[in-house]
Amino acid sequence: MTAMTIPPVQDETSAPFWDAAREGRFLIQRCPETGRFQWYPRAHSIHAPHARPEWVQASGRGELLTYSVVHRGNQRGDPYVCALIRLEEGVTVFSRVEGVDEADLRAGLPLVVAFHQLDETTSLPVFRPRTSA
Amino acid sequence: MIDLSGKAAIAGVFESPRRDAPRVHPFALQMECILGALDDAGLTLKDVDGLCAASGDWAEGGSTMDVVELAEYIGIAPTYVNSTDVGGCSYILQAGQAAAAIATGLAEVVVISYAACPRWWPLSSPSFDPFVFPAGPGQYEIPYAPTLISTYGLFARRHMDLYGTTPEQLAQVAVTFREHAAKNPDARLRKPITVDDVLASPMIASPLHRLDCCVVTDGGGAVVMTSRERARDLKKPPVHLVGYGAAVARTQNSQIPDDLTTPAALSGPRAFAMAGLTPGEIDVAQIYDAFTITPMLALEDLGFCGRGESGAFVADGNLTLGGSLPTNTDGGGLSSNHPGKRGIFTLIESVRQLRGEGPGVQVPDARIALAHGLGGTFCSAATAILAR
Repeated sequence: MTAMTIPPVQDETSAPFWDAAREGRFLIQRCPETGRFQWYPRAHSIHAPHARPEWVQASGRGELLTYSVVHRGNQRGDPYVCALIRLEEGVTVFSRVEGVDEADLRAGLPLVVAFHQLDETTSLPVFRPRTSA
Repeated sequence: MIDLSGKAAIAGVFESPRRDAPRVHPFALQMECILGALDDAGLTLKDVDGLCAASGDWAEGGSTMDVVELAEYIGIAPTYVNSTDVGGCSYILQAGQAAAAIATGLAEVVVISYAACPRWWPLSSPSFDPFVFPAGPGQYEIPYAPTLISTYGLFARRHMDLYGTTPEQLAQVAVTFREHAAKNPDARLRKPITVDDVLASPMIASPLHRLDCCVVTDGGGAVVMTSRERARDLKKPPVHLVGYGAAVARTQNSQIPDDLTTPAALSGPRAFAMAGLTPGEIDVAQIYDAFTITPMLALEDLGFCGRGESGAFVADGNLTLGGSLPTNTDGGGLSSNHPGKRGIFTLIESVRQLRGEGPGVQVPDARIALAHGLGGTFCSAATAILAR
């Protein structure tokens, strides 16, 4: 797998997300007025723009929506899987899928979050096959 | 609201025949194109009071004040400028806004100009590009190193899963446009290809092979617009902008809709409504083809075929010269040229088709043309309907 080497630029809004990721927890945001989830994290709720979203821990479970295996591109190295994952909470996130042969990739594949430590300050969430519900 | 339909016309166009322009600054290439388009219209730089450009991205030569930099380089001081950058379709959006400027008297002669030289450009991408900057929304995606092509791959894979679209159907898009390019002496790639050739080319980002991807060329083009009244007496027969629509949707991959609807589903109906026309009345279409999946989704969202039916629509030969919707008659981005934001070429080839000047295949007696583009990875869309 091609190494992930680009660190996210963390900011005031995203700090809780990256702090939790370092501890192996995947947070998403919920609107305090409508109860609806949102991804990606923002300083406001897209469902009620004057409201500040609250952080909640996601189940970390989801399923593969679609994917593309990058064979040649900006990054040189082994192929890697870019994917959209639909979380159980109903939001879609973009990430990588690891630990699956290309031939076994298919829409609907059950996945669970895992974490890649990039450096002391950053762990990146990725997704791996889920063996049991 | 002012009815814009038919108020402005394209009076002149020029496409650079260059596909390699080593050590030519994009502004120099733009100047060649601007002078070419003005000459085509029978106008001079002295007539120009409006300038549209979007030259601040990689290999385009400008920065955040691109339209000012370009005006200075050309040596004009336009009263109307527009540098709205919504990606590859920016020039179609700018044509609609130029028509509004002309209709309201903000400008009389507007030049829309584009060039890029990615084949030799020595500088890296500017850090404000939303597709490379791992801050703000991008901090949740860029660290995974998505490539532009892999994002199109996400769309193509899901289209295959939802609708049974096949790699062969995708490949047919490239095969068809190559047939058109074979007749265009300026096209980058002219040797005919087969579906098997496409499928045998190296996988770049699944399910897209190398021949599912556009060429990378240097190049440029310019369009001159003016009022219906002024266009009537110029050198070439006017081509009227009768319909226009634009829409923006998203930039982040996480915001891709489940059913793959793109903003063309908004820009298209807006353009058809302004024109008072339906998809069945289009004689010839130029539809942005960065990758084979690109025009397929547009065909669905613009209403040329139903949702999920573009694979069969393409395989049935509808995009060929004898088909129901001859498309990308110059060979498109897949075969003719693609410097990075090729929307301007959809306008230029539409005008050439309506004048009977197509350099590739020519649709006989074409009267109504559609030029459609997208920006980024289906992030934005703009549609123009043009008529003699």
